[in-house]
Formats: sequence, C-alpha cells, structure tokens
Amino acid sequence: MHISDGVLSLPVIAAGWIITAALLVITLWWAKKSGGIAEQIPKLSVMTGAFFVASLIHISIGPTCVHLILNGLLGVVLGLLSYPAMFIGLTLQALLFQHGGVTVIGVNTMNVGISALISYAVFKVGYKKAISLPVLGALCGALATIFTVVLLAIVLVTTGEEFVGVAKLAALAHVPIMIIEAIITGFVVAYLAKVKPELLPIYPGDRR
Amino acid sequence: MEYPEIDRYASLDSPVHRFDPRTKIATFTFLVFSFVFIQEITIALFALFFSILLLLVSKLPIGFVFKRVQVVLIFVLPLLIIMPLTVEGTELFSVFGISATHEGLRYASLIVIRAMAAVILILTMLGSMRFDTTIKALYMLKVPSSLVQMLMFTYRYIFVIIDEFLSMSRAMSAKGFNPGMNMYSLSIIGNMVGMLIVKSYERGERVYQAMISRGYTGNPKTRTAFAMRRTDYVLSAILVGFAILVHININTVMM
Repeated sequence: MHISDGVLSLPVIAAGWIITAALLVITLWWAKKSGGIAEQIPKLSVMTGAFFVASLIHISIGPTCVHLILNGLLGVVLGLLSYPAMFIGLTLQALLFQHGGVTVIGVNTMNVGISALISYAVFKVGYKKAISLPVLGALCGALATIFTVVLLAIVLVTTGEEFVGVAKLAALAHVPIMIIEAIITGFVVAYLAKVKPELLPIYPGDRR
Repeated sequence: MEYPEIDRYASLDSPVHRFDPRTKIATFTFLVFSFVFIQEITIALFALFFSILLLLVSKLPIGFVFKRVQVVLIFVLPLLIIMPLTVEGTELFSVFGISATHEGLRYASLIVIRAMAAVILILTMLGSMRFDTTIKALYMLKVPSSLVQMLMFTYRYIFVIIDEFLSMSRAMSAKGFNPGMNMYSLSIIGNMVGMLIVKSYERGERVYQAMISRGYTGNPKTRTAFAMRRTDYVLSAILVGFAILVHININTVMM
C-alpha cells in the first residue's frame, strides 16, 4: 500500500527524502563504477517499465482486488539497481495514476526499496544454502511484503500516536497480499530459472 | 489495464496551460509541499478551494480530474471511519459500546482535505502540459540527468509493454484461460510476469545496442528553449505568496 499526500508529518517526509536520496546516490554510483551508466540507463528503464506494467495486474480475492507490488522479485532480478528502479516506478505511479503522492515519493521508495534490497540479500544467502529456487523465490516475495508493512507501520506511528490503529489494520490487510506475492514470486523465479537463468543472481560455483 | 493518458488535455488553452513549464513545476510543487503540512481545518479548506479555483482556471474537464481524484479517495476515505474509532479523546457518540472521538474525526478530515488539495494541484499541473514537456522541464530544473533519462525512457516503454501484455492476455483468453483464485491461475500469472520480464530484458538489450550505435553517451541534448514572460513572474509570485500565507499564524498577525 502506498501512503497518500497529506498523511505524514514534516520530519517523516524529510527523513524519507534524505534516506532515498542517499541510497540513490550510492546505487547509481555503483552502477557507474560497474559497467557504465550509458549501458545501465536503457536496460534498467525497459525493466522498470516491465515491473510497472506487472504491478498494474490486479488479482481478485473475494470482493476486493489487490495489485501486485513485486518488490521482492524486483530485488532478486535487479539487485542493487532495484532501488533506482523502484524510485522511477513510484514516481511514475504518483504522476500518471495518482497512486501515492508527490511529497511522499521519498518515504514510499524507502519502504518498498529497502525491502527489495533485503530480498536480494536473502536470495543470495539462500542460494548458497542450497534452498530450492521456487521456495527461495516465495520466501523473498513474502519477506519483501513483510518488511514493507513493518516500515509502513513505523512511518505511520512515527508521524503520530493517532495512527497506531490505522497501522494495525494496514498490517492485517497485507496478509492476503503477502501470500499472493509469495506464490507469484515463487512461480516467476521458477520460470526464470528455466528460461533465462542469467536474470537471477545465481552462479553455479556458489552452491555447495 | 489502461494507458496512462495524463496529458490528454494538454492542447487546451488557458493561463495555466500558458504558464512556463519550469516555473509551473517549481511553484506547484512548492504549493503542494506547503498544503500537505497545514494544521488547521479551516485553512486546509481554504487551500482546497484555492486548488479547485486553479483547476477551473485551467479548463481541464471535471470528469477527467474526478476519475483520478477517486483513486486517492479510496485510500484516504477509510481513515474517516477508522480514525474516530481508534484515536483516543473526547467522545463524539457511541454505538454498541464503541465510541467515536472528536479528535479522530478532526484529524482524519484534515488528512482527507489536504490529500484532495494536493492531488487536484498535481493534476492541474500535469494535465496542462505534455508529459515530455514535464520531463524536459525537470531536466532544465537540474534534476540529476540519469534519473530524468530513466523517467523518460520508462514512460515511453510503458506503452509498448502494456501492448505486449495485452496481446499476451488476449492470446490466453482466446485459448480459454479464465483467471480465478486458485493455484493454477496464479502459476499462469507467474509465468506471464516471467515472460514479460524476459521479453523486456531482451528488448532492453536491443534498445541499448540501437542507442549506442546512434552515438548515445549517457548525456542527453535538449533543444527546447523555454522563455519566461511577465505573466509567468506575476502568476508564480501569487502562487508562492499563497503557499507562504497559509503558514502564517493569523493570531500573531492580528496582534
């Protein structure tokens, strides 16, 4: 879930922008160092577009429908560059579809982007521990959603005591999303491992 | 799935449409950041009316704006029910032992009004110029070039990828696929997402090769020249003045 404009307090929004700016500088500097930015920009843009479109797919559960976030998958496929990709994706969501808001792009990127980075780290560790890829993918999808919700709750509660109830309800609403994200991410990772393994951060030498 | 046609009415003519793109982005963003931190409901309502006034001046169709404001309302309206029930404070009324509080209602209303004001301003700003003009103006406002380029390329490829996805899902429904809430459907959707990613990855390679063979170095050259006119200065002065005005404490001015 994305936070809208007008919900958060000034310190929280400022902190969100500072953290996002710092992580963008670090990840883009890293991209420049390894392979050159002229190569990364076109490739990363097309991939960001793909994830943007995938997040428009809605899956109906009973009376409501959920949109996929896919930040766990984004982390697994793009690695450190998932952070700038998420930033661009959320900016376009705010500008084109009014999902989230312009003042909260920093905070929202922080919530989903940091979770994507964690999911990347978990995938690399899990691969070395010889966990089967679909299970590992599902784990990353679930963990990314859990971390997103935890960060979302922290952000809301830091804004004010008034939001404790809202944060609890938001966490509850994310349980079905977490399950769907886990299943879909598991299937996508299994598909990629079969069709295009070079998209996953797996190197046969890593596996013991 | 629909195309993001945010700039469908960019060709209309109004004072907002004629506003210099760079100054428009800078002043509207300033206004939005000012409005979302308003603490008083009366001032927030005043800000909302100001946003609606700007929208009316821009002549954008109300239906176009309302459809998009709904997206935000779906997120913030539930707060009007949740917050009175969960925030502690003086009791407004109680039903079946569950009490609603005055503080919760006040805070939730403030959020809804601020969110509405912000989204109407953003829609007025984006709806009144072509999206590629917006991106060029961002570049001229010294937003880091690599981010602006990614924003531009991603925006362009969204349309291509939506088409690709739609043709995939049309092919699947032609073969009788009917998505439901079961493991089989989710596995099919997972494979579709995977295919979309593989196709886009290969497309990215081709785009990159096409671009370097045309001399792309990572530094774009823009040729659009924007020119500031007197009306731009007047309009931006009024908007920035209003953005500051809503944060001046009226009581201290009175004394």
